[in-house]
Amino acid sequence: MTTPAPEGITDLDLDRSVALAATDRRRGIASAEPWVQVSLFAVGLIISLPIVVAIFTSFTPLPRILGDSNSIWTPPWTFDNYVTAWTATPFGRFMYNSFVQTGVITFATVITSIFAGYAFAMFRFPGRNVAFGVVLGSLMVPFELTFIPNFVLISDLGWANTFKGLTVPFLANAFGIFLLRQFFLVLPKDLYDAAKIDGATDWYYLWKVVVPLSKGAISALTIFAFLGSWNQYLWPLIITNDESMRTAQIGIRFFLINQEAATDWGAIMAGATIVMLPTLAVFLVAQRQLVKGLAMSGLKG
Amino acid sequence: MATRSMTPTRATDASAGRWRHRAEKLKAYLYLLPALVVLAAFVYYPIIESFRLSLHRVAPFGDAEIYLGLGHYTRLLTSPEFWNNVSVSLWFMVGTVPVGIFLAVVVALLLSYPVTRMSWLHRTLIFVPVIISSAIAGVLFRWLYNPVIGHINTWLEVIGIDGPNWLTSRTWALFAVTVAVVWRQLGFNVIIALAGLQQIDDSLYEAAKVDGASTGQRIRHITLPLLSPTLFFLVIVNVIFSLQAFGEIDILTNGGPGQATENLVYSVFVDGFVGTRFRGLASAQAFLLAVMIIGVSFLQFRGFRKKVHYQ
Repeated sequence: MTTPAPEGITDLDLDRSVALAATDRRRGIASAEPWVQVSLFAVGLIISLPIVVAIFTSFTPLPRILGDSNSIWTPPWTFDNYVTAWTATPFGRFMYNSFVQTGVITFATVITSIFAGYAFAMFRFPGRNVAFGVVLGSLMVPFELTFIPNFVLISDLGWANTFKGLTVPFLANAFGIFLLRQFFLVLPKDLYDAAKIDGATDWYYLWKVVVPLSKGAISALTIFAFLGSWNQYLWPLIITNDESMRTAQIGIRFFLINQEAATDWGAIMAGATIVMLPTLAVFLVAQRQLVKGLAMSGLKG
Repeated sequence: MATRSMTPTRATDASAGRWRHRAEKLKAYLYLLPALVVLAAFVYYPIIESFRLSLHRVAPFGDAEIYLGLGHYTRLLTSPEFWNNVSVSLWFMVGTVPVGIFLAVVVALLLSYPVTRMSWLHRTLIFVPVIISSAIAGVLFRWLYNPVIGHINTWLEVIGIDGPNWLTSRTWALFAVTVAVVWRQLGFNVIIALAGLQQIDDSLYEAAKVDGASTGQRIRHITLPLLSPTLFFLVIVNVIFSLQAFGEIDILTNGGPGQATENLVYSVFVDGFVGTRFRGLASAQAFLLAVMIIGVSFLQFRGFRKKVHYQ
């Protein structure tokens, strides 16, 4: 790691074990006793089974699925279900909507969290504790309490069925602010003083020093925000009723309702696979940051 | 006096300093502004508005409101439907929290077996539910639960069990939804449990081994006590999650059959957004639900002050 590990944020043993496993793989030796390997694989398979079943089903021709659902494990496989799903309902549009919604929320969450986290960590100003209390307090407010008034407000603004309606309520959140503040706080104060003496402005210091040094926390927050907004359900369900504004999660809900009547489970599973593909891709690529980020937030309470 | 002896340049310096100080404070507020505006408009204002709505009867279409006072609350507290929803929420909690955490700890213990160094594939397969949305979990399980050709019933058939129609059976629907939710939470729970386990110093196990403690004894006397802060965190988070379950219920059962799987959140949704809308009544339920959730969150803050059992 090039960034200094801030005090209190434990670098998990996971890192070490990942590194060890990597070396073992390179050397071509098994990293654990075979029976542990096998039982881990079995546990992993059981846990991921619903997803594996969905993916296999999505590639199996419909008549075979309906004849015997366990025929999915053997070829012949096909892309037909994807074609059906993609043409039967505007999945392309749903995915586009989800990407816009998720992109806006993720970008805005990161920016507002950086700003607010910076203000709390670096500046002394009257009302700082009150403001921080306000931010932390919002962590305790469940979404269920706020979504009816938010729905009324967004509708009154004429933002139902728009990207504004989908995104604006989520442009900032306490978790992100808190996470980044904790990170910024442990950056050495000397750095700040030195930059000040050199005539750096706070703005410059934020972007040239703080942000580059906090890449780990910022990327963890980016992943959380991405997953959280991509997977949103209740809010997009109520704030969109126009088919063309549905997000992928809502699209799959209505697709299920329509196709289930036609028992087209192949197409439904293809749709489900399409919807989870972006999060699956993020997981495969950024698994370590995600796991570390979650573990960190768990350990910190 | 100091000011008297100041040269003009120093005086301007001082006032420039004061200005800079003020600008500094102003800058802090500017950095905070975007986040605070969003939180004020979409978290804090709605709390008040939600409470206000709960005291009014709101016309299903249009904005007309009649003040009811605590009418909705008394109506709810005496309505069997409301208590049904509360009991579904609580059963949900009882069904998901202990099982979910137990499974997570078992898997985490297995993963942290000393010689184990998980491969990328293992971690991927075990952690993957963490990225699954409630909607997708609902869709995947709706297929698995299909009474005729779903995998669960076809596998049960192999061992000679005639599986029920899971999602339309009064006996099984709640259980079926619970399984889907436990599954989706498992990835998160395992990650947290594993992180907690890896905080425990290996030397403690070594020492216990030297003293002749068995695996079971080591788990009972070292692992679990030292894991208790993590377990406490998991309990709180899972309780809150379980009270908020919505997506799986919406996709798997729509709260049915009857109202067998209609928890408080689902009831808020139905009363507020489906068919004839009773936004005031829905807000009152949301408020009672929030009191439950905030109560649990509060416990968390208190619990973490005291901490549970630390190394």
